[in-house]
Amino acid sequence: MTASVPARPVKRLRTLQQREERDFWIAILPWFLGLFLFTGGPVIASLVFSFTDWTGLNLSGFIGFKNYRDLLVEDLVFWETVYNTFYYTFGSVLLGTLGALFVALLLNQNLPGTYFLRLIYYLPSIASGVAISILWIWLFNPNVGLVNYLLVKLLPIDTGPAWLSSQTWSKPALILKSTWGIGANMIIILAGLQGVPQSLYEAARIDGANAFDEFRNVTLPMLSPVLFFVIVISTINAFQILTDILVMTQGGPGTSTYMLVYYIYQNAFQYLKMGYASALAWILFTIILALTLLQLWGSRRWVYYEGAT
Amino acid sequence: MASTTLSRRRFLAFSGVAAGAAALAACAPPTAPAADSGGMTAESVTVSTALTWEAAFQTTQQEFDANFMEENPDIILEPVYNTWSDHNQVVPTWAAADTLPDIIYVHGSRAFPWAFEGITVSMQSHIDADPGFNVAGVWEEALRLYRFEGEQHGIPYDHGPIILGYNKDIFDAAGVAYPSEDWTIEDLVETSIALTNTEGDIPIWGWRGDMPNFGNGTNRNMLNTYGANLYNDEETAIELDTPEARVAVQIWVDLIHKHGAAPTPAESEAFEQNAWIAGQCGMSLFASWSTPTQYAFANYAWDVAPWPAGPAGQSCGSFGSGFSITKNSGNPAAAWRFLSSYLSTEGMEFMWGSSGRGSPARADAYQSWLDSEPASDNAHYFLHALENYAVTGRPYQTLAAPQLLDITGRYQTLLRSGEIDVESAITGIVEEANAAFADAAERMS
Amino acid sequence: MAQMQDTVAPGGIPARPVAPWWQRASKRRILNMTIIYLLVLPGAVMFLIPLLWMLSTSLKESRQIFVNPPVWIPNPVVWQNFTDGWSAYLPFNTFFVNSTLITLNNIVGNLFSCCLAAYGFARLRARGRNVLFGLVLATMLLPNEVLIIPQYVLFTKITQFLKPWWDYYTPGGILWMRYLSWLPMMVPPWFGFPFFIFLLRQFFLTIPLDLDEAARLDGASSWRILIQILVPLTKPALATVVIFAFIGNWNNFLMPLIYIRAQKEQVLAVGLNQFRGQFGHVDFHYMMAVSLIVLLPVLLIFFFGQRIFVQGIALTGIKG
Repeated sequence: MTASVPARPVKRLRTLQQREERDFWIAILPWFLGLFLFTGGPVIASLVFSFTDWTGLNLSGFIGFKNYRDLLVEDLVFWETVYNTFYYTFGSVLLGTLGALFVALLLNQNLPGTYFLRLIYYLPSIASGVAISILWIWLFNPNVGLVNYLLVKLLPIDTGPAWLSSQTWSKPALILKSTWGIGANMIIILAGLQGVPQSLYEAARIDGANAFDEFRNVTLPMLSPVLFFVIVISTINAFQILTDILVMTQGGPGTSTYMLVYYIYQNAFQYLKMGYASALAWILFTIILALTLLQLWGSRRWVYYEGAT
Repeated sequence: MASTTLSRRRFLAFSGVAAGAAALAACAPPTAPAADSGGMTAESVTVSTALTWEAAFQTTQQEFDANFMEENPDIILEPVYNTWSDHNQVVPTWAAADTLPDIIYVHGSRAFPWAFEGITVSMQSHIDADPGFNVAGVWEEALRLYRFEGEQHGIPYDHGPIILGYNKDIFDAAGVAYPSEDWTIEDLVETSIALTNTEGDIPIWGWRGDMPNFGNGTNRNMLNTYGANLYNDEETAIELDTPEARVAVQIWVDLIHKHGAAPTPAESEAFEQNAWIAGQCGMSLFASWSTPTQYAFANYAWDVAPWPAGPAGQSCGSFGSGFSITKNSGNPAAAWRFLSSYLSTEGMEFMWGSSGRGSPARADAYQSWLDSEPASDNAHYFLHALENYAVTGRPYQTLAAPQLLDITGRYQTLLRSGEIDVESAITGIVEEANAAFADAAERMS
Repeated sequence: MAQMQDTVAPGGIPARPVAPWWQRASKRRILNMTIIYLLVLPGAVMFLIPLLWMLSTSLKESRQIFVNPPVWIPNPVVWQNFTDGWSAYLPFNTFFVNSTLITLNNIVGNLFSCCLAAYGFARLRARGRNVLFGLVLATMLLPNEVLIIPQYVLFTKITQFLKPWWDYYTPGGILWMRYLSWLPMMVPPWFGFPFFIFLLRQFFLTIPLDLDEAARLDGASSWRILIQILVPLTKPALATVVIFAFIGNWNNFLMPLIYIRAQKEQVLAVGLNQFRGQFGHVDFHYMMAVSLIVLLPVLLIFFFGQRIFVQGIALTGIKG
């Protein structure tokens, strides 16, 4: 810099703390701009629309809390939908997280073929979409489907459940199907396992720890931030299940697989009741927010951050 | 360290100014802004059309478009391909931002709501001013779907009835005569029972297990033949709560659960096309528009017969798809010129008739379809139904229609799987459907 | 595969020959392996079913697809489904190039913006940080279905505003952003993606803070700490982001379906779905054949990402 530059009082960042704070704002600036430019408007719009009778095209005006009241009081399937969504979320998050953790622990060993096995477990997550969902309808066929074929071979039963055509078994069928998608969680957990320092295991072994102790005292605490992520994200995703329902069950039989986002989709694009759908979405938002906050609060008891600030 | 900070701050300041200047420059209009899309070549206009053809059929469209543009050098056609199952989501999205193509595909079930919401506009003035376009040649039952407040908001290209399909191989193996023109529903029931053989490795059922879907198609076949009606003519209330309706519904339920002559959903569920396409069912409801899929995937001999008569006579549902001009069309006149040619007798023969793609919505284009490869030997029974007893079933004039289909569909699945009896299904449908009607009445007032 | 690396040193110079693993392995290791394989292999077979079904369907005549009982081995084997599906009806070569450009742009954009934001949320102390991070999470909670229309209206207004300038100054596109209709897909990734921000934040939080503090006392700037300390230590997580971003963008269907009109601007996922016709008709044989081709780059990225996993192991020595 030459001396000819006019002297302008430069506010010095005197402390490391101030500089850190400035750097924080620079770091999150792209996200923050994106929030303002691309996300904020539509989010606020949907909130506003939830108080109107917007059809997606035409709007005659504000109708106050009518959408919310209709949903909570008059809608004949709304509460069924909420129950189904919780049922599915609980089942798929539980099975999905435990399953992914189990497989990731097994495939974290440096053994021949693990590359390949990881890929196989990840494949159903990549090869998804409509065509594969149709395959599942066939796999769940009570008579000729593979799922019941295996169940009858392995368990002391004569016939398996009717799965997708039974009101009792349709939700478990969707949960079972969701476990084929554990590959994505497995990848995240594997990445987390790579970060556990070997020195900690060596130290534990010197202390005479067995494999279970190692898992409980070393792996689990070191992995807890990643597991926390997996649980939170799985919950959010499970609450938003849509494609499987559109292709496999259309909410049926009866209302047994009506879930919140499917109902939002139907209202928004099939019934052209966008205002009503927006109200549904904000109720869903409130539910997941409450659950996420609960998870955040609960995480203080079990999540261990090596780099906590 | 301090000087680096300084220089970095200076740099940030400079780049801030530069960015601001760039933004200002950008706000000034370009010295010679690009001309309107219409002005590129002196007189030509662009007509975009949202279509839902699968890849293999797009070549037929390209051929038609090329011919049309050769004859009409002032029009440039721009096809926009949507997938059929996503089209109903994409169109309202485009409409919200006023970016609809000039012409859109409109399924019969969307004709009313999209006209009501103003997505499609009236084509009546174009039709009236175009003597070359023979609107009377289109089936009245098909036109009715697209009429809104007395004016055509669309012209159908495909319209077909739902009649009886049968698997010849299964009839031959059982030594049973094929369905005939004088069949009644009692014959259908008896034959279904006779054909059923679920003992073997691959179970065979006489009847596919269709139920009245209570929607705009099959309730004509399955309820109206017994003198029952689903909705009143004003489409403001449900009329299912009658003795006739109970008798009619019970017959189809009994075929599955009492006679075991049709698979339960649990027994038939395999892929989207289920046990019928897999060749395990003797007979099924069969719509003309199912022909291309049946032709491509059914690995057995099959044909169609008239829908059998019930105590109240012969009746069947019919339905179709069409094209409409949208509110965002910049050149509705040019768009109409395309549709006038596309939906003429020759246009329908080329696109859907001789390609075997679908039963054309014009009587005089029908023969080309009957002669096409996919149409079965007795496909003329579709024409016979349209000329004699096919009616476009309700609802098609209420905003509640999609919701009514969902509601009745839910009870239908429960009836098929035997988890509910006819009485409680009817009670449930009446309660939920009337709530939907009330809601729609409120929105339409 | 990992064993191959043992025998060839970097630079391709043959290293000291090492005995194959089955001779080196101890009894305990073999027992371990047996148990693991017994647990993992049956599941792997189940997980392979979708792929096997795709493969089988892709080689069938259409009339063999729905027969009951299902046929797993096609007869005859129709290789033509691959060539016909790829080029007879739709320009899949064009779709492939388009998807590649959009996907690569979005991976780089996501890595840049999400690394920065995650770094801020995980390591840099500032007032209001937790509230803002709450906003990151909150934006993931509202279902997309009610945002599609407002977002489409917003992006359409922006692109309509830009159109005269775009047509005038850059009719051929800007670098790899070839068409105006791609901007709604290619610009937002540079402004963060909550899922990846959250993911990377969690991984950054597993690195001991002492490393930052020490570097800071040595006069390192925040950015140097990010690039020289955190990024190398979280390579497995970054590889995960690359894999996920690749698949997410490669398979993205609804955005291009709504935003892109012309076939020459279209992408693979939409092209694939054009094998679906009206009234539930699907040309499965073509769809599965092309799906398998489209899957190949994903497999390559996965194997590439796995190598970074292994490098990650080598680096963990300096952690903790």
